[in-house]
Amino acid sequence: MSGLASYYLPGAVALWCAVAFALASLWGYADLARGDASGRAFARRAYRFYVLAVVLASYVMLLALARRDFRIDYVFQYSGLDLPFRYQLAAFWAGQKGSFLIWLLWGALLGLPLLKASGKQEAPVVGIYTLAQLGILFILVRENPFLMLDRAPADGQGLNPLLQDNWMVIHPPIMFVGYALAAVPFAFAMAALLTRDTSQWAARAFPWALSGFLVLGLAILLGGYWAYKTLGWGGYWGWDPVENASLIPWLFGTALVHGLYLERTRQRFRRINFVLAALVFLSVLYGTFLTRSGVLADFSVHSFVDLGISGWLIALMAAFLALSAWLLTTRLRSIETRPNEDPPLSRGTFLMLSATTLLVSAVVVTIGTSSPILTRFRDQPAQVGPDFYNRVNFPLALLAAFLLALVPYLTWRGETPPRQLLRKIAPGLAVGVVALGVALALGVHAPLDLLFVLLAATALANNLHKFVEKSRAGGLATGGGYLAHVGVGILFLGILASSAYDASVKVTLEQGKAVQTGDLTLTFQRFLGRTGELKERAEVEVVRADGSTWMAYPKIFVNDRTRQLMINPAIRSGVFSDLYLSPLEYDPGGTPGGGAQLQLAKGDEGRVGDVAVRFVDFDLGDRGAALAKMAAGEMVTILAHLEVTRDGVTESVSPAYRFSQGGRAEMVPAAIPGGGRVAVTRLNAAAGEVELALDGLGLAAAPARLSLDITRKPLVQLVWWGIYVVMMGGILATIGRVRQLRTLDAIAARTPAP
Amino acid sequence: MTRRAWTVVGILLLVGFAGFAFATFRTTLTPYVSFAEARAASRVVQVAGALEKQSTRYDTEAEALYFALLDAETGATLPVRYHGLRPANFEDAISIVAIGSWDAGAQEFRAEKLLVKCPSKYQGAEVKTYS
Repeated sequence: MSGLASYYLPGAVALWCAVAFALASLWGYADLARGDASGRAFARRAYRFYVLAVVLASYVMLLALARRDFRIDYVFQYSGLDLPFRYQLAAFWAGQKGSFLIWLLWGALLGLPLLKASGKQEAPVVGIYTLAQLGILFILVRENPFLMLDRAPADGQGLNPLLQDNWMVIHPPIMFVGYALAAVPFAFAMAALLTRDTSQWAARAFPWALSGFLVLGLAILLGGYWAYKTLGWGGYWGWDPVENASLIPWLFGTALVHGLYLERTRQRFRRINFVLAALVFLSVLYGTFLTRSGVLADFSVHSFVDLGISGWLIALMAAFLALSAWLLTTRLRSIETRPNEDPPLSRGTFLMLSATTLLVSAVVVTIGTSSPILTRFRDQPAQVGPDFYNRVNFPLALLAAFLLALVPYLTWRGETPPRQLLRKIAPGLAVGVVALGVALALGVHAPLDLLFVLLAATALANNLHKFVEKSRAGGLATGGGYLAHVGVGILFLGILASSAYDASVKVTLEQGKAVQTGDLTLTFQRFLGRTGELKERAEVEVVRADGSTWMAYPKIFVNDRTRQLMINPAIRSGVFSDLYLSPLEYDPGGTPGGGAQLQLAKGDEGRVGDVAVRFVDFDLGDRGAALAKMAAGEMVTILAHLEVTRDGVTESVSPAYRFSQGGRAEMVPAAIPGGGRVAVTRLNAAAGEVELALDGLGLAAAPARLSLDITRKPLVQLVWWGIYVVMMGGILATIGRVRQLRTLDAIAARTPAP
Repeated sequence: MTRRAWTVVGILLLVGFAGFAFATFRTTLTPYVSFAEARAASRVVQVAGALEKQSTRYDTEAEALYFALLDAETGATLPVRYHGLRPANFEDAISIVAIGSWDAGAQEFRAEKLLVKCPSKYQGAEVKTYS
């Protein structure tokens, strides 16, 4: 098939229309920018039609997935008859094309409020924003998700079992809202530079920047939760390139939020904020390139295959990099900004330092994530391990904790004398010292870790105090920043405790036998079969030191379709620590009698029950004579020299294999010391391989065995709670900023137009 | 201190941090090497290969997973020992990347981390031949 017939037209046409409407909207905005006011109505209408087209395309895809229309290649690849309904829908964003489509969908929808919220710079703001979407749209038109197959297969290929998880239903869509939001501050910044009118962009971009920070933060939290709860990676964060690809824009975005605050209150950072806004968006594009182009294929637990879009992604990146570089280099210098005239111990300086710290952290993570590309130029590609990120970010986190601890009591100009300042932070510091004492008592001895605990706890207490004070005086929305910082303090404590002070042991449990490890007594009770959607799982009774019992159900099962072994941990969450049980291996045990097959190469050793067999060599006797015999049609005997070890005694055993040229073969088994026998069932003299059959070993029925990794992760709950609190603070701050913007609009409405 | 002095302090700190970051980058870098190079290396490296059939064994005594990686091009194999959690799609992998170092005493590669590449069917790169 070729041409139109190879597309599923309802979806493909919607995408093509979207391109046309987006271009029409740009046309209208170009008119508006030239001063033709009638362009606005046209451009807005075209934009709304564009949104309609994108929504339609997405709806067609969703419908096709719901109807299991396997004619469509994308549906065939990511869906299947055995999928529950929610995963059928989640297949929407399981593949590359679908994830670009949902990114585009959110981007289009977010543009609707932006039409009105962009103020007097509507033309350049929405224009640049539409350009950003056109980039994604072009990729989608080229890598069309609505390609059809020649004929409809009976069943689809199914969804990767790793993705068949409830988190898959919510985590990726939220991530793409965050990605879509990154384009908004970028559009405001570039529009302001383009028109050389930088008076309003910071106020208008601020709520968007905050929302982006919030949504991306939420998505990262959910991703971490997913990794922790089900993926069996043993942790919530692994510094994997895919994780970093979402963290980098978030760090730049957080720096931007702080920079915008500084600009709004002190008219500082006015140049740097443009750079930050550009970096947020460019890092989203760069992260997409890294994770979607296949450049990191050998460096990530997420597998990537180059779909041939690398060129497009590079072009997209290059285009927006060129746009921002051009605008920044030509316009930035003419922007007036105020140098820092605040003393070191002032809020202004601290805010600058915190934005810088976030910026440096983002740059460092970017460099680490890019290591396979950076090293490729000099040598073989190489990657930095998690150690790099942990070590390099630790001093930055220490500095951040220090800044956070003091900043609530600093004034903008830093008038407070140090002595008075010390008096103000004293109660918070006392909390920090108590935390330090507790940490010491619990066995934390590394001096820097202790310092970190002291600072983070002080930061937590001081910001909490200030938040309560502020929200009592001026309403909740005025204290959002402080509340977010309380969350950071909690998060810091949680990260340190759960990553640096986790302890794990591995045990193997025989069914029914209680095993003591540490203060836990574990008994592997039984293995439960599949019931409904509940997968195969082991039942393990865990009795803790205080006598309380927890029935743990770590899952270990094989996916029907792909035969992949899947592992889900069982987690018991507690206030002070989580108990994390991950299955390592399940051996269902053996049947009595003890027969088995072994395939061994020369020098290899195999094991059946308590018998170890090593294959030494073949014995052909006199080689020449054997060949002559074979030629004469006589029987040839080949011995397999084995070393059999049982109960610490090793003996030589040589089963024989006889065959004639006619193809008749005869096996002569040899006895195994201690009972049983071994025979050669097949051999490959050229490759030096032999296949052995062992039977009658007289083994007792081996009990079922379950191997577990038991990890205690202290205070891991604080990681989640910390992020929740950061989010709540962020929501309050966003409300506060939106209110300020309303005031701005109200003032603008009262001022008569020139 | 004057503003200038603070600026100098700030720049010095940044330069110092950059140096520290660069040094850490150098030491934590794990280059991709061949099996032969991995056997000779004293640092943490990463190797890639296919899982050799039937080489997987979980030793409950050592609480470790043993397997061998196979280099499809040279036919060389590398015995690997791994203490962590077995990745979910381990048996099914078309390629396994092991990050770790060579243990000369035990004559095995001690992997600290495994990266598993799934078959391409989930990435849509498969050649379509159905009837």
